Amino acid sequence: MYRFMENENGNSEPAFQPQTSTGEGLITMKNIWKTYQMGVEELHALRDVTFRVNKGEYLAIIGPSGSGKSTLMNLIGCLDSPSKGEYWINGNLVSKMTDDELAHIRNKEIGFVFQTFNLLARATALHNVELPLIYAGMRAGERNEKAQAALASVELGDRVGHKPNELSGGQRQRVAIARALVNHPSILLADEPTGALDSKTSVEIMALFEKLHAEGNTIIVVTHEHEVAERAHRVITIRDGQIEKDEKIR
Amino acid sequence: MNLAETLKLALASIMAHKLRSFLTLLGMIIGMTAFMVVLSLLQGFSAYVDEKIAGIGSSSFTVQRFNFEDFKDTDSIAAAQRRNKELTFDELDFIKERAQLVSYIGAKAGNTSRDVRYGTETLAEVSITGAEPVIGIIDNIDVEYGRYFTESENNNSMRVAFVGSDISTKLFPQGDALGNEIMISGIPYRIIGIQVAKGTVFGQPRDNFVQLPIKTFGANFGGLKWQRAPYFVVMAKDGVKMADAVDEVRTLMRIKRKLPTGEKDNFGIVTPDAISGLIGSFTRAFSIVILFVPGIALMVGAIVIMNIMLVAVTERTKEIGIRKSLGARQADILRQFLFESGLLSAIGGLMGLILAFVLGIIITKFVFPTKIPWWAAVIAISVSAAVGILAGLFPAWKAAKLDPIEALRAD
Ligand SMILES: Nc1ncnc2c1ncn2[C@@H]1O[C@H](COP(=O)(O)OP(=O)(O)OP(=O)(O)O)[C@@H](O)[C@H]1O
Ligand SMILES: [Mg+2]
Repeated sequence: MYRFMENENGNSEPAFQPQTSTGEGLITMKNIWKTYQMGVEELHALRDVTFRVNKGEYLAIIGPSGSGKSTLMNLIGCLDSPSKGEYWINGNLVSKMTDDELAHIRNKEIGFVFQTFNLLARATALHNVELPLIYAGMRAGERNEKAQAALASVELGDRVGHKPNELSGGQRQRVAIARALVNHPSILLADEPTGALDSKTSVEIMALFEKLHAEGNTIIVVTHEHEVAERAHRVITIRDGQIEKDEKIR
Repeated sequence: MNLAETLKLALASIMAHKLRSFLTLLGMIIGMTAFMVVLSLLQGFSAYVDEKIAGIGSSSFTVQRFNFEDFKDTDSIAAAQRRNKELTFDELDFIKERAQLVSYIGAKAGNTSRDVRYGTETLAEVSITGAEPVIGIIDNIDVEYGRYFTESENNNSMRVAFVGSDISTKLFPQGDALGNEIMISGIPYRIIGIQVAKGTVFGQPRDNFVQLPIKTFGANFGGLKWQRAPYFVVMAKDGVKMADAVDEVRTLMRIKRKLPTGEKDNFGIVTPDAISGLIGSFTRAFSIVILFVPGIALMVGAIVIMNIMLVAVTERTKEIGIRKSLGARQADILRQFLFESGLLSAIGGLMGLILAFVLGIIITKFVFPTKIPWWAAVIAISVSAAVGILAGLFPAWKAAKLDPIEALRAD
């Protein structure tokens, strides 16, 4: 059974020690299908996807629009569940986890940068970034400090009080990135993280990802930009819901 | 997520839709106001009864011609009128001589209403009663000026009067009532004492009376019979249970009237307990009926809150999805919405309470004393919060159970 180890400070240790003994990776997908029922027709967003990601990998997922990249990311992020197949995270079968365990994973282990940002419209940038820390049970003072720092690291230190509709598209994306990073997740999932950014900011974000990767974090990024994909160590190409190619590039 | 955090969040979403929140709460506010006003009226009423009616000479009881039960219906009134005889002074003396548990017993008679005149001033419809001097002790009469009657004034049917403060203030604005003579039905009476002002009960003035020695009253107002028949006021000895004194007096009355055992009393004994009990049972029955209506308003208020919370959950599906994607547990979401509905409802309750308080002050000032007991205020807030939480239970549960990805896809 999946268990979290809490130390005295109430902060969880990373729950994902690679289990080399069993040969399981951090993330293991076995024959994953995701099927949507559209009336009488079945739409297979993912077909028989099998792959493994080890701790510390830097993986890019590429593929044409509608090929199933976001669907796959949602599954990895424990937001969605597969129609068929097994998804193991750190040696634990996700379909067997309780809601609270899933919530804990989403809070502590996964930082998700959504393709559509998913910021709270009524909240300031600062509050948006604070959200994962709130659900982690962090105190207000410490939380504020960390959120400020995270926003500063994406160069939005002077926009903390702005609401999403008072920010540009690129700025919103950076708020989303700051929010994904603020709780120091062990897996960063980014769905088109540089889609709305200019090349200079893109480069900075990629540098940030690289730094995180260097610190031992696992990074999975969906992109259609070659420069972004080239930074990764491994590229998976998806077409029509199937893995077409899975290659190490470094 | 801690409580302060949740509370802040709840307050923020209520404040984000001020007008909507207020409109949602109208039912709750009106319901709570109605509930509290009615409750405060009932409380005021029974406090009033306890203090001013039942409290009068609470150590004394009354022997009279009829019993409370005789007024049940017209048949029993008619039967009692045939069976029950007027009380007599013989009976009074009989009890006075034999009773061991009674400290004082005295007769009263009356309630005739007459015009009272002084000079050119007339006070209409003043209550005229007769009383034995000992009534001054039994009824614990508060004399402001002068004194109560003496035995010789009564025995000699002297034309002296003990009056309520209205008589002195209205007929003698100069304050020279004492010693002056008032005219009732063409006969002059000298004022020998004035009672401390008592105010009104249910709009009934209690200072608008003239009391005469009972013999004077009998001599000048057509005899002590019919509605002017005497009744006895009895005070139990110190340390004697009133019930025992009542039993003794009842037995003596039955002996004097030669009632065989098993036959019903042909007289009535009324204790203050009986009065407050009667009023109490009336108030209780009344309360249930009258609190039922605001209770329904509260329920409607709860349904409206539930409805608005369902709307809020639907509107904020995306927000719920975002929160879940960032690690909110079902319990966090549940608590967020329960707090919101509970707080919303408690605000409504508080507003209702404040409104009821203000109305209470106005009602007390112009109509009738009201009273919001502190426990009712506490209960009002907790009940409204509880109602809100209850009303929010289903919407909050719906929110907590939302599938994260489905919720994220909502717009
Ligand atoms: N909720 C849904 N119901 C039905 N079909 C869906 C749903 N979500 C996704 N799909 C379908 O699944 C397929 C994969 O969608 P997905 O969003 O994963 O594509 P994508 O690779 O991320 O594309 P893009 O690069 O444009 O973001 C698409 O054909 C889409 O229409
Ligand atoms: Mg996509």
